[in-house]
Amino acid sequence: MDDKSDLNRALMLDGNAVAGLLQEVFGIELTASPTKCAHCGAVGALGTLLAFTHAPGIVLRCSACEQVVMRIVETADAIYLEARGAAYLRLERHTS
Amino acid sequence: MADRFISRGFLGKRRESDVANRVPPGQYLTRDFPVLSAGPTPRMPLDRWTFSIQGLVREPITWTWAEFVQLPTQTFVVDIHCVTKWSKLDTRWEGVSLDTLFEHVELDRAALYLTAHCGGGYTTNMPLADVINGQAFVAYKYNDQPLAPEHGGPARLVVPHLYFWKSAKWVQSLQLTSTDQPGFWESLGYHNHGDPWREERYSGY
Amino acid sequence: MKRPLEWQIATVSAIKPETANVKTLTLTLPAWLPHRAGQHYDVRLSAPDGYQAQRSYSIASAPERMGEIDLTVERLEDGEVSSYLDDVLVVGDQLEVRGPIGGYFVWEVAQGGPLLLIAGGSGIVPLMAMLRHRAAAGASVSTRLLYSSRTHTDVIYRDELETLRAASTGLEVFHTFTRTQPAGWRGYARRIDTPMLQEVIQPLGPTPLTYICGPTLFVETAANGLAQLGVPASQIRTERFGPTAP
Repeated sequence: MDDKSDLNRALMLDGNAVAGLLQEVFGIELTASPTKCAHCGAVGALGTLLAFTHAPGIVLRCSACEQVVMRIVETADAIYLEARGAAYLRLERHTS
Repeated sequence: MADRFISRGFLGKRRESDVANRVPPGQYLTRDFPVLSAGPTPRMPLDRWTFSIQGLVREPITWTWAEFVQLPTQTFVVDIHCVTKWSKLDTRWEGVSLDTLFEHVELDRAALYLTAHCGGGYTTNMPLADVINGQAFVAYKYNDQPLAPEHGGPARLVVPHLYFWKSAKWVQSLQLTSTDQPGFWESLGYHNHGDPWREERYSGY
Repeated sequence: MKRPLEWQIATVSAIKPETANVKTLTLTLPAWLPHRAGQHYDVRLSAPDGYQAQRSYSIASAPERMGEIDLTVERLEDGEVSSYLDDVLVVGDQLEVRGPIGGYFVWEVAQGGPLLLIAGGSGIVPLMAMLRHRAAAGASVSTRLLYSSRTHTDVIYRDELETLRAASTGLEVFHTFTRTQPAGWRGYARRIDTPMLQEVIQPLGPTPLTYICGPTLFVETAANGLAQLGVPASQIRTERFGPTAP
């Protein structure tokens, strides 16, 4: 079975898909922020994470090693965010 | 509360009234079989596939694919309910009942819970009491065809009386434990038990 | 920059068919903010029983057009939201939206180029916002668009792309048709591959600023092809749209 026949891979999006949710939660745009994978050390913009959105929650995986970087669950009362797979997120200061 | 905006002419999903008593609260019926996954489809060639029962058992046991398909199977026709609100009635599977699998091990008295471990790293947990006496099976056929990879093939756990996130795709082992160990979704806001008839979707904390 | 993301009620002021299953909705926004080309808005539909469905749609219009935005929507088979937007929505209706959203897949003229835009099917939408912004700003940055569609009747913004190309300095447009080609067509007639990419990118130099948008498998094929050609990963930005393949 190759990538072409993996429907789960075809349904996959990227970090752009959670831009609105993260901005709603944190009040700032996060998809341009460099994110370091805690599993393999790769650094890339959060927008480059592979997003699995067809699930009970959203799972963001490193585009290099495909391990889980972040998980987000939206319930009626709350949003859960777990980011043990992220060694850091780098947020730029803006002087304006 | 201020009036909510309503989109003119948008009706959303409908519940069909003739089977309403088979559709748990907050669910709607689908004729499709939506594909949901936390990651890409794990690849497991059949000649390397194994299924184990381990943890609080006298002796763990492992079957190869060739051995597993020799086990007595049954056809199961069940309704399934996903926490993302779709329900599908009369789904038809073939597989091995967990009762049959447990005949091959001796469970410790302390074995009260199980955790399913899967290709790709997914886990889910449930009380042992929820998977014995005909309540659960390991399925490898759906609609008389080999279970498709995107739906959990080669084999998945099916526990139809709980929300379908507990019916772990790409299952590789069942681990018997004395304490309940919240799995992938249970550890992030989803309900530990997951009974659709009591709408046990979220943990609330 | 902190800015709360709030839902607002937009009014549909125009609906324009682009192709057989693609339409552009013009929305007037009470709380319009200038966006950046490549950003999107979220659209939320609410049924009387409380059921809601939400999707993201890339902004097609340039930020230079004030007070309103264009969203170009492809009707998907079984698409719960896209079929409502196609079948039910009429001029004068209201639509709940929030945005603009996104900070990674964006391009502004100030970023310069050379610019390489690669579109698969409806992936053209955010790239069109970039081209419209480029034109509105009077920029002449060297730009090449490679746009993959099934047939020439599936090309969204077909006439406008030709007008932009003809009127602009430094813009070239390459179409490839993967299913059938128009009579007399002498351009590309296959799915994007590395040799095609190599030909298209050659005049742009070794490090074009690259934006790829379309279905996931299309995006991966294009990105992998460019990596093989030595375009640095740091120059390539992608936006995956979901499974329909051009």
